[in-house]
This record gives sequence, structure tokens and C-alpha cells, in this order.
Amino acid sequence: MTTDISVTSVDESRPAKRRRSRPRLFENRTVLVLALLAPVLTFFIVFNTIPTLWLLGLSFYNYSLTSGMPPDFVGFRNFFAILASKNAIWFDLSRTFTFVLCGVTIQTLLGGMLGFLFWGSKKMPGRRIALTMLFAPMVLTPVATGTFFRFIYDPTFGVLNYIARAGFGAGPIDFLGDPDLAFWSVLAVDCWMWTPFMTLMTLAALGSVPTAELEAAEIDRVPMWRRLPLVIWHHGKFILMLGILLRTIDSFKTLDLIIPMTKGGPGQNTRLVALELNKQAFESFNMGWSSAYAVLLLLISIAMTSVFIFVLNLRRRRESGS
Amino acid sequence: MAEIIIEHVTKTFGAFTAVDDIDMTFEDGEVACLLGPSGCGKTTLMRMLSGLETPTKGRVIFGGRDVTRLPPRKRNVGMVFQYPVMYPTLSVFENLELPMRYDRSVARDERRRRVDEILDVLDIRHLSKAFIEELDAGTRQKVAVGRAVVRQSEIVLFDEPTTNVEVNAKLQLIRAFKTVTSRLKQTIVYVTHDQTEAMTLADRIALMRSGRIVQYDRPQVLYGEPTTEFGGWFLGNPGMNFVPATVSGGTISAPILARPLPAPGDLRGDRIAVGIRPELVRMAGIAGPDSVPAKLVDQAIGIAGRYLTKAAIGDTVVKVNTKGRPPAKLGETVHLSVPRERLMLFADGDRVPARFS
Repeated sequence: MTTDISVTSVDESRPAKRRRSRPRLFENRTVLVLALLAPVLTFFIVFNTIPTLWLLGLSFYNYSLTSGMPPDFVGFRNFFAILASKNAIWFDLSRTFTFVLCGVTIQTLLGGMLGFLFWGSKKMPGRRIALTMLFAPMVLTPVATGTFFRFIYDPTFGVLNYIARAGFGAGPIDFLGDPDLAFWSVLAVDCWMWTPFMTLMTLAALGSVPTAELEAAEIDRVPMWRRLPLVIWHHGKFILMLGILLRTIDSFKTLDLIIPMTKGGPGQNTRLVALELNKQAFESFNMGWSSAYAVLLLLISIAMTSVFIFVLNLRRRRESGS
Repeated sequence: MAEIIIEHVTKTFGAFTAVDDIDMTFEDGEVACLLGPSGCGKTTLMRMLSGLETPTKGRVIFGGRDVTRLPPRKRNVGMVFQYPVMYPTLSVFENLELPMRYDRSVARDERRRRVDEILDVLDIRHLSKAFIEELDAGTRQKVAVGRAVVRQSEIVLFDEPTTNVEVNAKLQLIRAFKTVTSRLKQTIVYVTHDQTEAMTLADRIALMRSGRIVQYDRPQVLYGEPTTEFGGWFLGNPGMNFVPATVSGGTISAPILARPLPAPGDLRGDRIAVGIRPELVRMAGIAGPDSVPAKLVDQAIGIAGRYLTKAAIGDTVVKVNTKGRPPAKLGETVHLSVPRERLMLFADGDRVPARFS
């Protein structure tokens, strides 16, 4: 392509020659398409497909890195062991679902409201700075966020306890140590971090609504509460649903935010599936067992994604079919 | 009564002045067209009438009510946009009903009756249950027109409604406008850059340029008696000829004139030009009493058996719109003459009121 451009600019009098300067190999469309796709395909296969298949294979073996024994094929026994286990896995899963459901709901509502506020205040001075500041949490590393929230939550010198003591005279509250509070404290940090993402998605969704339709609704004296379903939701729903989907998948995998704060404790009160997986794989080195666990989580993720996409398509199909 | 009074309205966007101190009145029940090239401020002026923009200076008055600061929903106007707006989740019938849905003063039966009437006027009754996906841009725009007029607000605004519609549907749409406007005695302001549309629809045309009204008059007057060179050039296809003239010793001479014209006493200006419409220039194969020789340099077939030609008198090129084939071939000599009583005189771009005989 680059040779094409340089030839054009240097020698415009002979366009016929220019055509021929394209390498023969690329005359064939299929070859060109493959050549352009090759880098990203290679990347995808090496870093995504192969590890996934590896994981899938490993899940059928009993393989511990510490025992020094060679991998031993056990069929579906890893899966049966997980599904039949009386230990806390089912609690982990339900805890994770609660975390995802509450987190994504709060983030969507809060982010949506903020999005609407920013959308409606286009002429407000300092709007850009406020937006940039709002998006800051999203760009931070979860580990760093978790670490400084551990300090904020700290019962002896944390700023939250200082405010509680000075403002309300409340005794020291151990946000991350109290079994009743820990889960919600962690959830609050997740919301602090990811609400901006939903604000961004809401703004993008609102940006996809044609101005003329909003202006027409104003001229036609459609009340504000009716404009939402009539105009805004129709155009914005796809982007918003995409945001919710991304957030759901991401939230399901939360790990690095929690490790610096509670490591899953107190007890198992903040132990999400990813934490248990991390512990089994990289602390106990039960590679076979944790591979099987990861495969199960992957299946759950795929199921959630499918439901979302199905719902989205369903609505569109109904519209075009009517 | 709902005449629209625009009082010294100015609108600036940063350093750019879109509308520059416009002062005019749109009469009650009239169809007024805002006509002008792109970027002349016509859409901005209309958006200030609808309330989607607020004037930087000046006032907008609807039938005695100062609406300058009111939001659109409180102005009681209908509006059709350039982009055909139809609410996607509602059928055609529901779309037309919508502007009255939340108006307690219109009873349900009355609402239904009005929508029924508009469906007939626009000839879309068979589509009343259709949704947006089933309709082409022209029909969507018809629905938008219906929605704008169905409320029977006293003022209806049209913002270049035919721009995004293909040619066939455009004619249909214009016919629908005609029916609608003649039926309803609403004050209508119609923005367009298409002179044919303006000529067809308007009772009066406001010609705009660079944020100002150049001329505001009935279409025939605007065409026949332009007050500026811009008006003469913008209207008509092709626009008026302007032949540079020289003034000396009380007479005006120009290449197109066989005999000089008497100069009016108050003629001032650095740039004097004689203006004549291309269809008024006569082209003949043989010399006449008042003709000047010219060379035929260009010809193209126009509509209705007319030819659009160009003839050169020395360096001056004159556009001539002839009835039938021109009397000579390209490059040959033709003879041009002009009816002196139809000549117009312009000094520095403005019309000088003078008649010749």
C-alpha cells in the first residue's frame, strides 16, 4: 500500500504502471485477506486459543505441580469432584452471583444517572475536567485501588473511621474485618471503580440518539418521562446493554481488587470464585482441579453472554418482524 | 392572529454571526419561504422561531406574545426537520396522534378525527398501521409533516424538509405541502435553498445572504425586480446577466448595448453593471437595428425545447436562454439585442431605480 501512495505522488503521468507495482501475490483477494489477518490471527491463536485448549485438556488430568508425579488421566473425575463437593464452592458461586448482580445493578443505575447529568449539562463550565476526573478510578490498577482502600477502611488510622469518629462519634468500625460489613465494603469499592465505566457507556448510548428526534420530541411537547422509552431507549439500548454485558463478565472475574483488601476473608465472606481458583492454582498448585474449575466458570460466562445476546436479538427480531 | 414579528434579532456563535440584526414580520396565514445559499443563516433564524436556539439579541413575538426566552414546548409550534423524524416504536397513526396525546384540551374523539383527516390529506391512510422500517424517507417525511400540522398550532415551521428525499418523492411531498397549506390557515415558515420549491410554495420569499435579509417580497417581484445583483444571480436558472458598463458624459455604455443609455442623474458607484435575464436577450442570425454581433461559444439543451447558450462580445460572455435551437453553430457569429425597457442598472451590487425606453 505504501508503495502505491509514493508512486502516485511522484509520478502521476503514468497511472498504468502504478497498477502493476502491486505485488503479484496480492492480486489474489484471498491471499491479501489472509495476509492482512495473519498477525492478529497468530496473536489470537498463540495467546488465546492454545491456552484455552491446554486448560481444557488439563482439566481431565490429575496433575499437581508439587507432587512431582506425571499427569494422570482421570476423565471427568475433576468435574464430578467439584460438582459433588460439600465444601464452600457453592457458597462461593452464590456469593459471586450476589456480587455481580448487586455490583452491576448499582453501577448501571448510578452510572446511568451520572451519564444523564453530564449529557444534560453540555454548557456547564468545567464539564470536561469533571468528566476526566470522574473517569480516573476506571484507569487505576485494581491492585492499587484495593491497597489504598485498605488504608481508607483501616479501623485505627483510616480516614473513614476518622470521619465516623469526629462526625458521628461512632466507635472504630472494622469495615474489612467485620463479617457483616466486609462483603459490602468490597462491593462499594468495586462500584467506586466501575461506575464511571457505566457513565461512559451511558454517554455513548445517549450520543447515538439522533438530535433531530430529541428536538422533535421537544417540539411535539412529549413529556420528559415519555421521551425515555420513545426516543432514547430505542437508539441507546444496544450500547447500554453491551456495557452491562461487559461489566457482568468482568465483575464475574474480580480478583485483583479483593486480594489486597481481604484476601477473601474474614472467614470466607469475600471469597469470590476467582479467588478460590487463584488459591488452588497458584498456592496449592492443583492444576488439574483448578483447570476443571476454570472450565466450569468459562461455561457459566458463556451462558450469561448467550442470554444477553439472545435477549438483544429477540427484541430486534420482534421489531423487524412486526 | 399569529403573525410572527422578528425584532432586531441577532445570533452569534463565538465570533461567527449567523443571523445579523434581522427585523421583519411574517404575516398571519401566509406561507413565507426563507431562501438562500447554504450557511446564510436561514436555518438558524428558523431554529430561533422554534425555540431550539435563543437569540443573542432581539425579540421574537408570536401574535403579540413575546416568546424569545420560551422553550420549544411552550411556543405551540409545529416543525418538520430536514431529517425525517418518525418515532420508531409507534405506528403511523400513533405518530400523528402523539403531539395531542398529552394535551388535555383535545378530547380523544377529536384527536382521532383530526388524525383521520390528516391521513386522507396526505394520502397515507393505507399505511396508518405501518412502522418506520416499512416506509421510505419520503413517506416518513410525510408523517412528520402530518405530525407538525395535526396539532393545528398557529405556526408551522419547515426546515429544508425535502433535502433527504429522492426526487420523485420530493414532488409528491411538495404536492402534499400545497394541499396541507391551502387547507389549514396556519402561518408557515419554510426554509429551503431550492428556488423552485420556494417559487412553488411561497406567498412571499425572504431572500437571505450572510445572516441578513436581502429582499422580502412576492415571488414574481423577487424574480422580476431584484433589488441586488445577488438576488438577480441567485434566482433564475441560469441567473441574470450582469454586463460591466462605463459611465461618461451622462450616458452609459456597455458591450451589449448598441446605443448608450441615458444615465440617471444620481448614479454613483465604482462598479456599474447592466442586468438582463438570459431569457429576455434575443439572439438572431442576421443583424437587426439594435443588435450587437457576438460569437456563440457554448450551448446546452435546456428544458421545454429551450437552449442555454453563451455568446461572447469581445471578453464579455452573455448567457442567453433561447426558444428553440440557436440560429448559428458554435464559433459562428450571432446577433444579440436586448429590450431596453427590461434592462436594470446596478451600482456596486445594488439596484439603481431607473427605467429606459
